Parts: sequence; C-alpha cells; structure tokens
Amino acid sequence: MYVFRVSTVVVNGSCRGRAAVIDDYISFFGEVDPERGVHRVRGKRVADRVLVFRGSRGSTVGSYIIYSMKKNGKSPICFIVSRVDPVLVAGAVLAEIPLLVVEDFDSLISTVDDGDLVEYCSEGGVIRVYKT
Amino acid sequence: MDQVPEGTYTIMFLTREQEKILAGEYGWARSKALEVIVKVGEALGAERLIEVEHAHVSGISYTNIGDAGLELVQDFYRGRAYARVYTTLNPGCVDLLSYSQIVDNRYRDKQLILNRYLEAMGFRPTYTCIPYLHRKPGPGEHLSWGESSAVIFANSLFGSRTNREGGPLALSSAITGYTYYYGLHLLENRVVEVSIAVEAKNKCYGALGLWIGYNVKSIPMIRGVSNDISGLKLMLAASAASGDHGLIVIEGVTPAKSYIVSDKVEKMYVEDRDLEEYIGVEPSENDKVLGYIGCPHLDPREFFELVDKIRSRGKSAKRDRDLLVSIPAVYSNLFIDEIHELKRYGVDVAVGTCPIVSKLREKYDYLVTNSGKAAFYMSRLHGLNTYIASIDRVLEIVFGG
Repeated sequence: MYVFRVSTVVVNGSCRGRAAVIDDYISFFGEVDPERGVHRVRGKRVADRVLVFRGSRGSTVGSYIIYSMKKNGKSPICFIVSRVDPVLVAGAVLAEIPLLVVEDFDSLISTVDDGDLVEYCSEGGVIRVYKT
Repeated sequence: MDQVPEGTYTIMFLTREQEKILAGEYGWARSKALEVIVKVGEALGAERLIEVEHAHVSGISYTNIGDAGLELVQDFYRGRAYARVYTTLNPGCVDLLSYSQIVDNRYRDKQLILNRYLEAMGFRPTYTCIPYLHRKPGPGEHLSWGESSAVIFANSLFGSRTNREGGPLALSSAITGYTYYYGLHLLENRVVEVSIAVEAKNKCYGALGLWIGYNVKSIPMIRGVSNDISGLKLMLAASAASGDHGLIVIEGVTPAKSYIVSDKVEKMYVEDRDLEEYIGVEPSENDKVLGYIGCPHLDPREFFELVDKIRSRGKSAKRDRDLLVSIPAVYSNLFIDEIHELKRYGVDVAVGTCPIVSKLREKYDYLVTNSGKAAFYMSRLHGLNTYIASIDRVLEIVFGG
C-alpha cells in the first residue's frame, strides 16, 4: 500500500474504486464522450473509475460535459489531479464529484496504474493506493 | 483560463447571508450556483465575493454545449433558479427570424427549448455578443461577463471590471448576484506593462488585434490608433480571441483611474509588414467566398452604415459569392424593414446568432471579413482560408467593383 498526502480538497467526499490513469491534461469537451464515459483519445474507460490525471484544459463547455457524465451515470467517482482550473472546479462542484489535489503528484502518477485500488476517506488527508 | 499555481488555494470569507445561501436556505439552485463561484474563487486564491451589477451569460449555443449544457440549464430552471441581477444572453445557434440560408438551423428545436428555460429564469432574450447595446456599464462597476469580446470592451472602453468568465460561472453569477473578487476586479491587477506604438499605415484593426493577441502577453497600452469605436471593437475582439487579453488600455479612450501604469513599461511597435500574415491573401475568382460582417454584432449605427453602402451599390451578390450579416436579436423588431431590404440584394441576415457558434449549410473555400476574431475562429471551426479587409473591400469582393 502507498500513501499520498492530499494538499487541497476542492470538493469533499469519500471514494473507493479502480484507477484510470491519464498522465496528461484533459479537455473534457472533445476528448471525453459523456454518453459512454470514455476518454476518446486514449480509448480508456473513465466511468466508475478514480480518474488520476494532471488537470483540465480547454473550453469552458468542459464543465457541462462533466455534469452530463454524472447525469448519464457515466462519470468518474473521483478526480485526483496535480492542478485545478475553473473549468474542472465548476464541473466537479456541479456534478458533486470529489476533487482532490495531491501534493506529490509526480510520485503518485509513477506509482499508480490502471486498475489499482484507490481510496480516500472524507477529511482523511491522504489517498491510499493498493497495487493489484 | 490559466492553470492555477499550486499552493494558492484559500478559504474564502463569507458573510452570514452568503453562508445561508450556501447552506441551501434559498433552495438547491442558488446554493449550487454559489458553491461554483466560491470553489472557483478559492481555487484561484480569492478571499471574498463581490456583488455584480450585470451578468452576461455565454456558452448558450446548443451547437457548442449540446445536451450536456441543456440539462444543466434545465436543472437550474427546475430548481427554481431566477436572475438576481440584470442578465443578458449571448448568441444561440439559430437565426431567430429563420431567413438565413447560410446558418444551418438544424438545432432549432433544441435551441428554442434552451432559450425558453433561460428566459423563464428572467434572463433577457438579447442573444447578442454586444450586451453593452442593452445596458452600458459604468466605470468601476463590477460585472460577471462571459464572451471574451464583450469582456474586453467593458474593461477597456467603459473602465468596468470583469474577468473573462466561462458559461457556467456567469450563469452562476446571474442566479446569485455574486462573483469572486479576483483578477481584473482589483485595480492592482489592471497594470499596464507594455506600451505599443502603432506605426502601421493600414488601419486593419482586425489584423492588428490578432497581432496583439499573439505577440503581447501582459496588459498593453496602445498608442497611435484613432478613437473610432467600431475599429477598436474589432481590434479588441481579435486580441481576446488570439490571446487571453481581458483589458487593453487605449490612450485617450480608456477611462482614467480604471488602470495603473507600471514603473517599468516595455516598448513595442507594430508596422504594416507585421500585420501581413494575419491579413491573409485575397481569394481568386474561382474560390467560393463567404463575405461576413457582424463579428462582434453590429450596433445600430454600424448596421445603418452597412445598409447604406449596400443600397448605394444597388447590386446583388456575384455567383459563388455570399454575404452574411449577423445582428442582435432585438433588431428583428426594430429594423425589420432594413432586414427585408438587404434580403432583396441577396444579403443573408442572421439574427441572434453568428457563424462562430452555429453550423453552416454549405462549404466555402474562403472567408472574407473585416473581423479578425471571425477569421481566427472560422479558419479553425469551418476550415476556411481567410482574408481580412475593410467593409468596402468585402463588399467589392462580394458584389463586384
């Protein structure tokens, strides 16, 4: 088990699930299909996953896409990022998806792989990664 | 908007009233909307909220926001959200008069549903990117505006204060009457750090704006441009498209005390040859050309001048040449006679929309326009070659000399 300190809890909540890792910034508008919950560019499922990625970029329509994923039941269960921007924050708040900024993101992303179990307890201060 | 540097996250100070809104005492919609503003503000490092006088909501074109945006607007409406401040709306994706043969009205039904929700929440059916036509903001007044061309116009020409907001944030401000106190709301961030002398003889404001957006990263002061508001509007819109500018100080135009000049000001200048690559190359006789005027939307004086020019030419568009003019929604009542007159010359007038936020029915090879912003986006969205020219030259290309 690996432990990483959370530096900022932007949207709080507990979560526990399998990781989907994208070592890049994501433009939710264009790159993510809100009906299927898939990151089109990587062909990777993000629905019902703990999405570990650097942050969001691009169009402000991205906030609506995050909201739509949630309404469609195809959203990630948690966002774990290196940095936040207004598009991601607005989307996570509207969709009520936990959004956590990790202190040492580089070491997190070199540790966690797709399918690893990731958990965060509300106000717990750390995320835990269990390798599979 | 920019990524936020790590470690700037702050917990905002909220008044008791704001705490009550957040706690849901006034319902889900206002609580959710205020939470969006507070969390975005905290992520940027804002310490408190401020009241705004006017919200301008962008990102309401169904072509752009799709069912995702429609759902959120519908949920806010069903959650009894209502405009707390004067709120205007940006263009949608359909021509509200349904005359246009150029703008594709395929999403008409969806857009009209979206419009009904927005109007039922007390937002004004302006459908224009020039909200200052309906309400001119005062110097120092705090606004929460989306639509980058309107934001930069408000900051630079009226001395008002607004950041470049995205659709969801401006929508949240409309519902709550607040925004976060940050960025261009604070005088200390409205600091001129570069002075630009315009030495170009060709006053191609669209191209000049694109040059500024691409080449200038801090807040500039521009010297050597006239106080021709229509030209400045084109310049500002283009610079806000190719760059992330929200304020450009125009010497002799921008209200004093709405900005500060830094102790260290870098000097730059721009000449005719710097603008050439942004102006582009004229289309050939064989190209299928879309002429376009109305980005940003025309104010009444600009509209009448254009009608006069077209009337005095007295001709219809040449083969493989079309002219599209986009104007605010309110003109469909005020200027219906002029719109019909333009139609007789084969001019396609689209009301309450524009080709940047909609789809086009036909493919063109070339866009010829006076707007640098239109050239910037339409080369990207519709894959067109572009040529930026004066209105007279655009008309010559479309109607013949």
